[in-house]
Amino acid sequence: MSGLSLDPEQLDRYSRHIIMDEVGPEGQQRLLDSRILCLGAGGLGSPVIQYLAAAGVGTIGIADDDVVERSNLQRQVVHGESDIGRPKVDSAADFVAEQNPDVAVERHETRVTSENVEDLVAEYDVVVDGSDNFSTRYLVNDACTLAGVPFSHGAILKFEGQVTTFEAREESPCYRCIFPEAPPAGSVPSCAEAGVLGVLPGTVGCIQATEAVKLAMGYGETLDGRLVLYDAADMTFDTAEIRKNPNCPVCGENPDIGSVHDVEYTDTCAIGD
Amino acid sequence: MHVTVHVVGEDAHEVDLPDPTYGDLIAAVDLNPHEATVLVDGRPVPEDAPVEHDEVRVLRLIKGG
Repeated sequence: MSGLSLDPEQLDRYSRHIIMDEVGPEGQQRLLDSRILCLGAGGLGSPVIQYLAAAGVGTIGIADDDVVERSNLQRQVVHGESDIGRPKVDSAADFVAEQNPDVAVERHETRVTSENVEDLVAEYDVVVDGSDNFSTRYLVNDACTLAGVPFSHGAILKFEGQVTTFEAREESPCYRCIFPEAPPAGSVPSCAEAGVLGVLPGTVGCIQATEAVKLAMGYGETLDGRLVLYDAADMTFDTAEIRKNPNCPVCGENPDIGSVHDVEYTDTCAIGD
Repeated sequence: MHVTVHVVGEDAHEVDLPDPTYGDLIAAVDLNPHEATVLVDGRPVPEDAPVEHDEVRVLRLIKGG
């Protein structure tokens, strides 16, 4: 922490945080000193970016190689009509600049690959995965787990969302503990194929942002070891316990994956796939 | 064998099958083994392994963001 140095405007802006004993000026300073990486500035990334910026997370990295399309606007709330055709990282950065001048945005207009993921993840305290494909999800899982960087996992489809947090501690499970390999390409539909309720990523992304804020502040209990399934159609939440798997290929007792370079992040994301 | 299959986010399914594998349980609740995993005590079990528990949870994979 760089010391308590909240100026009068910050004391005002963050007063509803600071007044809470659980946060206080120290917790707010931790947020201002924190660095959080958002992978994806789409449906999940939008609310994550919004709330991390509003909360005063000092540095937000945004990694995305897409441009804004009109079909995004039904749910990707940091982008607007005039952003169509612009890189999402630029549109999202402009949104943050307008929302909170305390926040620095680091733009990574690139697809996250095994060549850049380690350097990218190493620069941040917490990672929020809002990606939309299994290759990136497994890559992020492996990179964060191996590097010991906590990350939030969120996924959405139609009316359903899943969200959990992997803290990358010794006893923490990871995504491969429950899904050791990705399913064959095409076997699980995407939002483009099956659709998604526009407001759904707002709910799931807000949970992810909540988890990231708690990790940055060092307060509260995360979803590590629990996966929440949210069904917007009947407005229910269900929770599944998930435990570290001794046979996990990345964090198990005899892991096969010691580096992201051990895996081809295509198809099933298996060793030497 | 009688097994209670809790699909996470849905109601429980009561399944009766002779000598089922965990993959048979996934099929019995109308899911594809590629899109779901069976968890026992919070850990996945091989889909081709014979069922040894009378209560399991099934978790579906989704990827959208």
